[in-house]
Amino acid sequence: MASEQATAIRQDEAAEAGATVLQGRYGVYPDKPLPEFDTPSAKAFAAADRRDPQRALFALICRPDLPPRTNVMRSLKGVQSAGLLPLIEWGCAPWAPAGRQCMMVVYERPAGGRVMAGPGAELRRYDDWEVSKKLVGPLTAALRELTARGVSHRAIRLTNMFYMGVDRETIVLGDCATAPAGLDQPVLFETIEHGMAHPAGRGSGRYDDDMYSLGVSLVLLLLGRNPVAEMSDEALLHRKVAAGSYAALVGEERLPLASIEVLRGLLCDDPAERWTIESLDLWLSGRRLSPLQAKLPKRAERSFPFNGKEYSAARDLGMALAKHWDAAIPVVLDGKLELWLRRALGDRDRADGVAAAVSNATGALGDSRAAAAAMLAKVCMVLDPTAPIRYKGLHVMPDGFGPLLAWMMAGRHDPRLLAECLLREVPKLWLGEREGYSPENTMLAATYRELRDQLRIPATGHGLERCLYLLNETLPLQSGLVAEEYVIDIKQLLPALDGAARRADTKAWPFDRHVVAFLVSHLNYDVGRQLQALSDDDPAMAALGMLNLLAILQWRLGPAELYGLTGWVGGLLGPVISSYHSRELRAELEAEIPRLVRQGSLLALYRYVDNAEQRQADAEGFARAQREWAAAEQEIADLDSASEAREARALRLGQQSAAIVSVLIGLATLTVVTLMELW
Amino acid sequence: MARKPVGTTASKARRGVGQKVVLVLAGLALVPLVLPTLILLFFGLLPTLAAALVERGPQRYAWVCVGGLNFAGLSPFLFELWSDGHTIDHALAEVTSVLALLMAYGAAGFGWLLYMALPPVVGAIVQVAAQRRGQTLRATQLKLVERWGSDVSTQDAG
Repeated sequence: MASEQATAIRQDEAAEAGATVLQGRYGVYPDKPLPEFDTPSAKAFAAADRRDPQRALFALICRPDLPPRTNVMRSLKGVQSAGLLPLIEWGCAPWAPAGRQCMMVVYERPAGGRVMAGPGAELRRYDDWEVSKKLVGPLTAALRELTARGVSHRAIRLTNMFYMGVDRETIVLGDCATAPAGLDQPVLFETIEHGMAHPAGRGSGRYDDDMYSLGVSLVLLLLGRNPVAEMSDEALLHRKVAAGSYAALVGEERLPLASIEVLRGLLCDDPAERWTIESLDLWLSGRRLSPLQAKLPKRAERSFPFNGKEYSAARDLGMALAKHWDAAIPVVLDGKLELWLRRALGDRDRADGVAAAVSNATGALGDSRAAAAAMLAKVCMVLDPTAPIRYKGLHVMPDGFGPLLAWMMAGRHDPRLLAECLLREVPKLWLGEREGYSPENTMLAATYRELRDQLRIPATGHGLERCLYLLNETLPLQSGLVAEEYVIDIKQLLPALDGAARRADTKAWPFDRHVVAFLVSHLNYDVGRQLQALSDDDPAMAALGMLNLLAILQWRLGPAELYGLTGWVGGLLGPVISSYHSRELRAELEAEIPRLVRQGSLLALYRYVDNAEQRQADAEGFARAQREWAAAEQEIADLDSASEAREARALRLGQQSAAIVSVLIGLATLTVVTLMELW
Repeated sequence: MARKPVGTTASKARRGVGQKVVLVLAGLALVPLVLPTLILLFFGLLPTLAAALVERGPQRYAWVCVGGLNFAGLSPFLFELWSDGHTIDHALAEVTSVLALLMAYGAAGFGWLLYMALPPVVGAIVQVAAQRRGQTLRATQLKLVERWGSDVSTQDAG
């Protein structure tokens, strides 16, 4: 009955007009939402395979303002693995409800529904055999597949697990590609470190973070409920920190003995000791190990009073200092914390670290508030080296800056704190707290340096927008100029701008800060000179910089003809034409540009309007004309001012003339008389 | 550089004085021979002498103007003296001849008129030429502006 109904729906869907077609094969139906498959960041809609209409599919539509995990999509497309919802296809297509192109991911539609319908929904209790068979087995296979493909899931939670069949025997992991890693994860399913971070700033994390999330899912299934449902995220974090994750979640609950071992292993707060896939394999094959005991943080002999509360562990205190930032600075600066660490906690290393941070802050020149803020960030790192970077209200994992910045800019949240954090090189302090060499950290350090350098330059092509695209390679271009397109690849930029020429105000530039930042971040070519020109105060130089940049793009990536964009840019070259002095040349340029526009070649247009020989000849001709004009002006001034001298000269000339005439007449007469005498 | 031999300048000066003395003596020796000519020239060229004495300034053209025509007017009588007997009596007869004096002095007067009339004419011609030049220069400037724009008149532009 259910199968017949599903078939009827699919046929109906396939016949429906107005479907978006993805990759020429998959129809996605905007008028058939499937809220039961929604994720917090992506809406689900019915989809159909046009070659196989019997196949039940659904599509998730990504938010265009957040970076999707296209590397995960690429890795998982077509993968048929136990425990993974099959990802059939992904790509961009026009999406009518949003009035623009959107990234969409087509999945096979699970027939059995979600394992847990919602965060507060009822949950069926599983026994340890069921957990092992239906969950641990398939999900271990799924995680092995993910690990082999070099991606982490980071969205393992019961509300993102589905029963694949109507018999509800097989559980699969749902989507993990439509939103940044960890964005939709409740704090419950995140490790302590990631739980402390802003949801958008949790970073892609590692495989062991997935193991932890799996452990939390197991706890909930074995208990048949969420044991900490009534607890706030902050309280849950404090409990996890104080008691360890296993104790915080399981508490006094009674669990099957066989499950305790796997739960202790998966919920171990030390990533180095946390169970791996191999440990799960061993456990599944029946080998039993002694359960890991939670390592509780060292407690001080006497507690540290801060902000009306008493703290006896460094990690707890670090959280409190980071939360009450302004109140924490004087407490740290007066040396009480160092003393407490040294005497009450007996942790000389941490005390030395705090002392060094305080000493640096008090001895620093310049902005004392900035130095104090950096000092407290450092102190928080010393107290809890595994915690995210905490700077004022910003809590972000080192690899989470990109998604967090995208989230901030998408939601119009003020990104100044994040920029300040990068400018003050707080991530460098975090890296300084790492022990031993790590290539990842070296790469991160280089990235932070580049981000800082970019933030220091306010010009177009730099700043926060550049950081946004440097950090989020998969983020589509956020420019309003191409708001209807989904430009994720540099090759799509020029066609998108070409299309925008039909809609946009062609008196405005085809560039804004986002377009330039996207272009420069994705173009593997040094365009520093063009960027400099783009920010030039001289409008002609700026227009030439813009044209040059576009021409380079067309030259390197095509397409060969861009009629709309060339026309758009051609109409903006007034300042360039005016930069030539010769009126004849200007007229010639104005006459020639429409012909070049009809060719659709930005390169030809650029070469024509910025011909070096032509420009030099114009400059030389102009300089010559200036000299001629100045010489004429001087001569006119001389003529006007020297009338007396000219009169004197005229008098002298007249007298000389008279003398010459007289002498000539005298000589002529003498000659005549002489001749008459001789004859 | 080679040194000049000592006493070269002094010997040149001595040689110059000696030559002048020789020339003066030769001239004095010739005076008895050309005295009739000198008498005629002296009286006939009195206007030229007067013009040379009257004119002041660094550049003197009046005596040239007067002298040129004055000599032209006197020249027939000078030839007549040379051809009809180069004697003092003949010379005195010529200088007392009304016709000769009229011709010599009349020509000198014409020369003076020339000296007075020509400078204003030349001044007018120079003024007209200056105006024409100014108009040409302004036309050139206008063409430059038409071809290169008004920036051409500023030295720092471009």
